[in-house]
Amino acid sequence: MAFFRSLQDSAFTDWFLGSDSIWTYPTVLTLHTVGMAMLVGASIVVHLRVLHVGSGFPIERLRTLYNIIWTGFAINLISGVVLFVTEAADRAVDPVFYVKLGSIGLALWSGVVVKRRVIDRVKVPLGAGGTTRLLSLGSLGLWTVAIVAGRLMAYLKK
Amino acid sequence: MAGFSTWLESTAISKALFGLSWLWPACESLHFLGLCILIGCAGLLDLRLMGFFRGVAIRDVKAFMPWGIAGFCVNLATGALFLIMQPHLYLTSGVWWSKVGFIAMAGLNALFFETRLSGSALALAPDAEMPPALKIVGALSLFSWFAVLYCGRMLPYLGTGN
Repeated sequence: MAFFRSLQDSAFTDWFLGSDSIWTYPTVLTLHTVGMAMLVGASIVVHLRVLHVGSGFPIERLRTLYNIIWTGFAINLISGVVLFVTEAADRAVDPVFYVKLGSIGLALWSGVVVKRRVIDRVKVPLGAGGTTRLLSLGSLGLWTVAIVAGRLMAYLKK
Repeated sequence: MAGFSTWLESTAISKALFGLSWLWPACESLHFLGLCILIGCAGLLDLRLMGFFRGVAIRDVKAFMPWGIAGFCVNLATGALFLIMQPHLYLTSGVWWSKVGFIAMAGLNALFFETRLSGSALALAPDAEMPPALKIVGALSLFSWFAVLYCGRMLPYLGTGN
């Protein structure tokens, strides 16, 4: 906890939040939104396809979208760590933050399982098509939870 | 515009909506969700027109567009609510008008595609080389939507919005 407090009270945080430049906080926040659009946008397309939207779209071509998903995730992991540092002590005790992290983790996990089942087709009982669709539906719900939690965090700032 | 903004903010409907403390964050959440659906589905078509996903028929990519348009409608509705609740943040902001400009650019570009290019695009063989006009329309669309996102997110920092 003392460590998180020292991050939040660091000279970096003062500079990052206090600077008048648009290249510090505003730009990192915008990158976090761009990453979200890539990560969640591409995930939504994947899961809609699994749920039979655009059923003419060859399902194995969804593979390409995972490049966008992981690129968006990398952008948001890096920008997210920077944003976390500046409010580390507050977020470490913020349950909404853990809801956001948990739902992102589960949404990514279900995205990976969906990919292994319907794209890679590695030794999975494909009679379980219903389960895959359930995973996709769950993933869409989890991304919604992550977005709502992320937005609410802005209102719980100290 | 400042006068209209002051009038709108003084109306009973504006005050009543802004008085609902949950409405603003709820609209923000929906606005973010709508943007993901829109950029996901429209972006897929844009990438296809730019030449990615070669071998996939354009018809099968366009099938996601009703969802993309639904995402846009969600954002139009929630955006209208922001405007009614706090017009002074937007109507006198150059960044907000830039955002509106980029939305118009994306819209006109999509209209041009639908009316002039979509017929020949749908007739293309799935593995055909994309004609330059389609690549330009796709790239312009993708650029516009990310410019819309940029203006929206930077609104509080570049202009007077929130």
